[in-house]
Amino acid sequence: MRKLDRLSIGGLVCLAVLVVFALGSLVGAGGEPDAIVGPRLQPPGPGWWLGTDNLGRSVLPRVMEGVGTTLLLSSVAVLVTAALSATFGIIAGYRGGYLNELVMRLVEVLYSFPAIVLAILVAAVLGPGQTAALASIVLVTIPLMTRLVRAAAVAVSQRDYVTSAVISGAGLPRVLGRHVLPNVAGTIAVQGTYALSVGIAVEGGLTFLGFGVQPPQASLGVLIQQGGTYMIAAPWLILGPGVVLVAAILAINVVGDGLRDRLEPRETRSLT
Amino acid sequence: MILELDDVTVTFAAGPPLRRIHLDAMRHVSLSVAEGETLGLVGESGSGKTTSSRVALGLQRPTSGAVRFDGRPFPKRRRELAGRMQAVLQHPHWSLNPRMRVGQSVAEPLDVLGRPAGDAVTEMLEHVGLEASFASRYPHELSGGQRQRVSIARALVTRPRFIVFDEAVSALDVSVQVQILNLIKDLQAEYGFSALFISHDLGAVRYVADRIAVMRKGEVVETADTATFYSAPAHEYSKQLLEAL
Amino acid sequence: MSLLTVRNLMIDYAETRALDGADLEVAQGETVGLVGESGSGKSTLGSAVGRLLPRAARRSEGEVVVAGEPVFDLPADRLRHLRRKRLGFVFQDPIASLNPTMRVGDQLRLVLGRGADVGFHLGRVKLDDPRVVRSYPHQLSGGMAQRVAIAMAMATEPELLVADEPTAALDSQVREEVLNVVFSLAAAAGTSILWLSHDLPAVARRCDRVAVMYGGRVVETGPAREVLGHPAHPYTAALAGSAPAAAAHGVRLEPVPGRPPVLTGPSPGCAFAPRCPFAEERCEHERPQPVRVGDQDVLCHRAGEVAA
Repeated sequence: MRKLDRLSIGGLVCLAVLVVFALGSLVGAGGEPDAIVGPRLQPPGPGWWLGTDNLGRSVLPRVMEGVGTTLLLSSVAVLVTAALSATFGIIAGYRGGYLNELVMRLVEVLYSFPAIVLAILVAAVLGPGQTAALASIVLVTIPLMTRLVRAAAVAVSQRDYVTSAVISGAGLPRVLGRHVLPNVAGTIAVQGTYALSVGIAVEGGLTFLGFGVQPPQASLGVLIQQGGTYMIAAPWLILGPGVVLVAAILAINVVGDGLRDRLEPRETRSLT
Repeated sequence: MILELDDVTVTFAAGPPLRRIHLDAMRHVSLSVAEGETLGLVGESGSGKTTSSRVALGLQRPTSGAVRFDGRPFPKRRRELAGRMQAVLQHPHWSLNPRMRVGQSVAEPLDVLGRPAGDAVTEMLEHVGLEASFASRYPHELSGGQRQRVSIARALVTRPRFIVFDEAVSALDVSVQVQILNLIKDLQAEYGFSALFISHDLGAVRYVADRIAVMRKGEVVETADTATFYSAPAHEYSKQLLEAL
Repeated sequence: MSLLTVRNLMIDYAETRALDGADLEVAQGETVGLVGESGSGKSTLGSAVGRLLPRAARRSEGEVVVAGEPVFDLPADRLRHLRRKRLGFVFQDPIASLNPTMRVGDQLRLVLGRGADVGFHLGRVKLDDPRVVRSYPHQLSGGMAQRVAIAMAMATEPELLVADEPTAALDSQVREEVLNVVFSLAAAAGTSILWLSHDLPAVARRCDRVAVMYGGRVVETGPAREVLGHPAHPYTAALAGSAPAAAAHGVRLEPVPGRPPVLTGPSPGCAFAPRCPFAEERCEHERPQPVRVGDQDVLCHRAGEVAA
C-alpha cells in the first residue's frame, strides 16, 4: 500500500478537526448557540472567543453548529448523489442502447444549467429550506458524477473478466454487483469528495441568497449571510464562518486528490 | 457434434441512421467441433474470428443461420448453458477481476450454479500447476502466465464440455506460450473437453488443434486436418499464412 | 557512425538490477528489434535512450550516446532539445500516454506548432475521420489512440523512434495495421527504429537486425535472419525453438525449464547458466565477453562450439 502524501494527510487532519468541532456543538461545548451572552457586536474576547453577533450571541458555538449543519447536509446530499449516479451510471454504461441515451441526455440537460440557477429553480419549486438545499446539491453534483461513473462502467464492462462471468452464466445483479461496481468504486469515492466540496459551496451560496437553510438554524451559509450585513462594523462575524468554509472546501479537495492518486495511479516518469 | 455453426451470417450496422453502412462480420460460415476435438480458427485482423467466437459462446445472435450446441438449438436464455461452456480470453491483464482473490474467481462459475466449491478450487489450481496458496492472492501479484493458468482453472472448474480459447496465449512471452499450450493439451487429454482455439498465430493454432479452419474477410476459406497444414494447405491464403511463420 | 550507442550500461532500481552491462548499437536508418521476455531489461534500456527512467532508477556505470551526445551527461536544456528533435517514443499504453484533458487536435498542435496541418499528420497514420481531431483520448479505441501517439512521435521526423511493445495493449486485429503505419512512416522519413518486443519471429520479419536480451544484457545481436535461423547463443536458440511455430507436426515442445533471473546485483557469470543445457563450470562465475560468431556478436563462453 502506498502512503498518502503529506498534503492529503494535512487535509484529512483539517477535516477531522472540523468534524470534531461540529460534534462538539452537540454536547454543548463552546456554549449554547442561541443564548445571549453579552453586549452586541463585541470583538473576540474572553467569554466569546469569536466575538458576539448583532443579538449578543457568542459566534463560536454558532459556527460549530453551522459546520455541523453544512457538513451533514452536504454529506447526505452526496450520498444520495453517489447512490443515484452509481445506479444510473452503471446501468447506462453496461447496458448501452436507448437506456444509455436517455440517461445521458437527461444528464446533459441538467449539466447545461448554471449551478446557482438550478438551485434557485429548485428552491422556487420546493420553497426555501433544508430540503431545497439538499435537492439542489444533488441536482448540481449528479451530472458530472453520473458521466464519470458511466465512462468507467463502459471501460470495465468490456474487460474479459466481465465477459467470462457472463459466459459462466452470471446474472445481471452478480455481474453489476460483483464485477462492475467494485471496479468503479474508486471513481465514485474520488468524485464523491469533489461533490462534497461543491455541495458545501452550493449550500453556502443558496443560503446566502436566502433560499437555503433558514435562521434561527445555523449553517455556514446562514452565518456568512448574517455576517455580511456587519462586514465593516464587525468583520469577525463573517471571518470565522468564511475561513471555516474555505478550509473545508480546500481540505476536501486535497483529500480527493490524494484519494485519486491512490485509487487511480498512473505511472509517472521523471523528466529530468 | 458438440457445436455446430450452420451457414451463419452476422451483419453489423454502423454509422448515422440515414447513411447506415452494413458490414458482414461473418458470411455463410459453417463450422463444427466434434466431441473431444480441438478446432483451430485462424485469421488476421477483421477476418471475423472474434465474431465467430462470440457467436459460438452465445454472446452474439446470428443475423441468419443456425447454431446448435450438443445437437440442440441455442437456448433463448444464456444462463441455461451455464457451466457447460466456458472461455479463456485474450488479455491476461484483464482476465481476472482485480478486486477478487484468485480463489473467488476460480469458484465463481460454481457459485453461479449454486454448487458448493469445497476442495474444487485448490484441486483445480494444482491441476494447472499453481500451489493452493495462490487462492488467497490478488491478480496483481501474479505474472501473465500465472493469470492465464488461473483463467484456465476457472474455465475448467465446472467440467464444461466445451471451452473457447480466444487469443488465450497471444499476449504471453513466447516460452510461456508453450507452457500454457502444453497445459491445455494435457488437460484436454485428462478431461476430454472439446475446444475452439482462436488465434491470429497459425503457429500456436497448428500446435494445439486437431483441425484448422482459416477465416478471411468473414468467410471460411479452408478447413482441413492439422497434418495438411504442416505439409500442403490447399488455399492460396493458407499458404501465405504458412510462409509468414 | 552509429546513431545510438549504448556501452556497458548498468541500471539499478531499489532492490533489483535492471541492466547489467548492456551494449547496443543502432545505425542511421536501421530498424532494430530488441527482443526479451518480461523482466529482461528491455524496457529499461528503451527508456534509458531518452533518459526517461523512473525516479527510482540509478545508473552505476556505462553510457548512452545519441548522435554524438552523451545522454546522461547533458544539461537539461540540451537533453530537452535532443528529445524533441532527434528522438520519438511510443509506449505500450497509448491512452495513458496522451493527455486526458486535451483534445487530440490541441495536443498535436502543441507538438507541431500552432500553424501545423493536423489533418495531414493524422492522415499519415490513416486517421482520416475528422472527428478524431475533436476527440478526447478516452473516446478513442486503443488502436486509434496508438496511431495518434505515433503521429505525435513521428511529426518531428525524429532520427530514432523507440517503440516499447507498441501493440501489446491492442487487440490482435489492429496490431499489424499499427506496425505497418510505424514502419512505413519511418522508412519515408529515414528514421531508425528500436522496436522492443517479446516476439522474436515477429521482430525478425520486419527488422534489419535483432538484439536479444537476457538478465539485463544484450546476449546476441546480428542480422535478423541469421539470429532467428542460426542462433549462436543457447538462450536465443531456446527462445527461437520454444515458439509454437517452430514445432514439427506431432512434436511436443519442451520450454526451457526454470525462470528468468531476478538480479539483485551484478551477475557473477552468465545469467543464463543455471538454465543452460551447455553450461560449464566457468559459466557460473566468469562473465562472458562478446565473441563474434559468423555475423553475430554473442555473449557466451561456448558460442563457437555450440553454434557449430
